[in-house]
Amino acid sequence: MPLEFLQSLSDMQIVGELTVLSLLIGGIIMAGGVIVARIVKLLFNKYYAPTLPKDTAQNLGKLIYFGIIILSFLAFTSSQGIDLSGIMVAGGIFAVVIGFATQSVVSNLISGIFLIVEKPAKHGDTIQLPDMGISGTLLDIGTFSCRVRKFDGTVIRIPNEKFFTSNIRSLTVSTVRRAEAMVGISYKDDIENAISVIKKEILITMPFVLRIPEPEFRVEELGDSSVNIQILVWHPKDDWSQAQPILLTAIKRALDKAGIDIPFPQRVIWDAKK
Amino acid sequence: MSDNPETTFSNYGMYEVNETLDLSFPNTEIRIERVGKNAFSYFRKNSDGKIIEKMIPLKSDEIKIEVAPIRPLNHPARRTNYVFLKFDKEIYLSSNSAASIFVHCPIEIGIFLIHDSDKESLDWVTCNPLNSRFGLYGSPDTGTLCKYAEVTLATNLTDSIPYVEGVIKIIIENNLSSGQTVSKVIFPITDNSLYYEDSKTIIDGLRVTLRKRAVVSIADVKTESVDTDWTKSPTWEDTTVSTSMEMGLE
Repeated sequence: MPLEFLQSLSDMQIVGELTVLSLLIGGIIMAGGVIVARIVKLLFNKYYAPTLPKDTAQNLGKLIYFGIIILSFLAFTSSQGIDLSGIMVAGGIFAVVIGFATQSVVSNLISGIFLIVEKPAKHGDTIQLPDMGISGTLLDIGTFSCRVRKFDGTVIRIPNEKFFTSNIRSLTVSTVRRAEAMVGISYKDDIENAISVIKKEILITMPFVLRIPEPEFRVEELGDSSVNIQILVWHPKDDWSQAQPILLTAIKRALDKAGIDIPFPQRVIWDAKK
Repeated sequence: MSDNPETTFSNYGMYEVNETLDLSFPNTEIRIERVGKNAFSYFRKNSDGKIIEKMIPLKSDEIKIEVAPIRPLNHPARRTNYVFLKFDKEIYLSSNSAASIFVHCPIEIGIFLIHDSDKESLDWVTCNPLNSRFGLYGSPDTGTLCKYAEVTLATNLTDSIPYVEGVIKIIIENNLSSGQTVSKVIFPITDNSLYYEDSKTIIDGLRVTLRKRAVVSIADVKTESVDTDWTKSPTWEDTTVSTSMEMGLE
């Protein structure tokens, strides 16, 4: 009975030599290919992906999945007796037209490959794109675009071509980072004393500031109203929020405790008649 | 375990909590209190007024606590496994000579919950937060982030500063053809176990070998277990495999 049923399907021609049975076999091959691709991708994600960098794992996962799908498609076409070479020749002119139309898509794809090879930044890095005014955490480098989570919580998608050709400033590639601040003290106050009290306050109240290298102090300018001192402190790369935003607070507190003025802009006017 | 009569601070060791347990350390007060048949509360207050409170629901109606010194890696945040000890006095070693020194090394105090046969990390405290800071060994882009401490030399293994610093024995061998001055040592402290008795702490030792490799003078730093009958502290942090560090001579 089943054999007769299959025989009847093979007798039902659709177009040319294409029968319902061959189409059914092709469908089973494609469905099997999709199932195998999903299982292999699942096994890859479970056992091998955790040992690889996230970007590499993601791209390798896609490569495996679509590789199996393409192989299944080739098996499907050969099972239907379709000669792809004819399609390829006929599609040559069409491919040129499509090529022009999808120039940016291909450009993004190629840029994505270069980004994966060059690795200017990796998943989880805090980066800055000064040309675009974007700062945030790199979520992933995909086939056509990168995603960056900005510090305000929003996620921005950047085409790979733009990302690749931009200046990329990595904020977490080094072990430590430097925070900076500038403060002015009045001319009547002792510079050495001001530096001493600021340094003491920083070392006591800012636990994430490194002892080695020590906080650095530079008298940057003898300004119109104040002696301007630049303060440079190092901190672990992930603890920017424990250094830069509170550095000026610590400096102000130290100067207040020591009774050192932070002068307002002032101008001395000489009355020539007197 | 009784309190230390001289200082009124609590000693390291095991404590059973029936109703209330008060522990006192320099700048830190801890109270564990029964709040139900199978529930306890944990309360810690630091010298800066910071308060930590936890609830501890348990299957059993008993609770045991172990207080023990732990590696100084947690304050202000866990960022590294390395410790950078800067000696207050430099050590000069002539060529082909060796010296054995005892050095103070900062510690933190771990509070462990003893649950069946397991010891679980409940909390940690540092009694000297001002000497618990970071330092960088090397350049900003390739250097190693370390916990940094300026330390003094100790007279012997039992010369530790209660609750604040343990003692580590460092053997330094100079196999170079010229005299060398050693002012610091950098090492991954996760390889070193800690041992306690009353309020004192010993840390596994180090062997530092100054030698030539190709044209560069280097210092090999390796851990050496200390032979003591003091109680070994439980491990606070997850154990990670680390290798001995080679640091350049300066």
